[in-house]
Amino acid sequence: MSTQANRAQRPRPISRRRLLVNVPALGGLLATGCADAFRPPVIRGGLVGAADVLTMSTSRWLLRDQPLAREYERGDIAPDFPTWGQTNPDDEDYQQHRRQGFRNWTLPVHGLVERPREFSLDDLKRLPARTQITAHVCEQGWSAIAEWTGAPLAQVLEAAGGVAPAARYVVFHAVDRWYESLDMFDVVHPQTILAYGLNGGDLPVGNGAPLRLRVERQCGYKNIKFLRSIEVVDTLAGIRRGTGGLSSDFGFHWYAGV
Amino acid sequence: MQARVEQWLRLHSYNVRICHWINVIAGGYLLLSGIHIFLDFPELYWGHTGYQGYPAIFKLSDWGLSWDEAGALGNRMWGRNYHFTFAWVFLVNGLIYVGWSLASGHLRNRLWPGPEERTRANLQAQLREHFRWGAPARAAETRYGTLQKVSYLCLLFVFVPLMLLTGLAQSPAFTAAWPWLLDMFGGRQSARTLHSIGTVVFVLFVVVHVLEVLLSGAVNRVRAMITGRFHVVEEEQ
Repeated sequence: MSTQANRAQRPRPISRRRLLVNVPALGGLLATGCADAFRPPVIRGGLVGAADVLTMSTSRWLLRDQPLAREYERGDIAPDFPTWGQTNPDDEDYQQHRRQGFRNWTLPVHGLVERPREFSLDDLKRLPARTQITAHVCEQGWSAIAEWTGAPLAQVLEAAGGVAPAARYVVFHAVDRWYESLDMFDVVHPQTILAYGLNGGDLPVGNGAPLRLRVERQCGYKNIKFLRSIEVVDTLAGIRRGTGGLSSDFGFHWYAGV
Repeated sequence: MQARVEQWLRLHSYNVRICHWINVIAGGYLLLSGIHIFLDFPELYWGHTGYQGYPAIFKLSDWGLSWDEAGALGNRMWGRNYHFTFAWVFLVNGLIYVGWSLASGHLRNRLWPGPEERTRANLQAQLREHFRWGAPARAAETRYGTLQKVSYLCLLFVFVPLMLLTGLAQSPAFTAAWPWLLDMFGGRQSARTLHSIGTVVFVLFVVVHVLEVLLSGAVNRVRAMITGRFHVVEEEQ
């Protein structure tokens, strides 16, 4: 199925007005990307592909009022939040930043933003912060509750002048060649944050220091660690294998809501 | 003089047969893919939290399969892709079956126990009869027994909805939309544990179901579920 043809004839069941009402401060970001909310950027073939679209469109229709994922109490926080997958990238540049306490580390935000720029860790900490106690839900089956502190992604994009009308996806590149992407539906969600803090302290190296993505309504593999740069794009074609993430390049569903 | 009366009865309608075999395929894939997902993280917990190192209520490693051995057998990517695909197949198929059963009277006439069946005496008689080894009359039975009706109805209206809900209670998207899913089962990990227990119940159902077919004229029963036609022989003295 060609996504191009699909785009043209696809109805837009989420009205922009509705989203604007629910997250008024983020209105500027919502000029684009609403039809994307119901299907992944690349639709796989066959029965699996059909089920992907059903799963994603059902989830997104149920989430159309942009509810928050459950937030827990301090007492629910897991005693030792697991470190999973990559826990200390074997990367010269990264290791140097780590030794320097990430003092000189910066996050480039580029692509379809009004004012592409680099954010230092202090720049990000100066933005309005959000702290949330949420469950990390790994697609493997484990879950653990932790308190994350960070800058809402929408705030970061606003600080880069906002996104261009053509913007449809935000791509997150990580140190360890891991990458992921979100559509605007999750980009504008208040709980989608670039987290620099875990349980009141700095984000530990094992959990993706200095900065990781938290997207609380999707499974663990979307929440990538060790962020290196952020790119706003109109299409995912041409980025690596074009499916919008390393997990989906492997064969996982790009949308990880279930 | 001995008279032999042979008859071919129309036992199962198209809808029952098609839905049944789609269920076999979907149920088989759901089971297999579910096992793959489980093997990739072969521990169960209770409550909202559960991870390697957190107090578990079930560890596969206690039963002789180490974490690494289980992980080598389980492919969660394949498992997730096919689990959700066949969950949709199973759901759509089930909704068609229930819709048709309601509309056609199948539910009322064939599945729902009649007033004469809903008595203590009948249930006791059916239980006695059921567990008596080698009851020959069953091979010619063309109606569902009371116990069969009760188990099908429980499967359809209790078990399947609970499996669906315990499955959805593990999803970060669905629990954001429906937070009551988390409260209903006491947490995401509790839901996962109940879902796994449900898998065992499903396997037990299949084992008993197949056993019943084998014990009540396997060829005739399986043929009837494929062609719809059921062979009845009556011998008169």
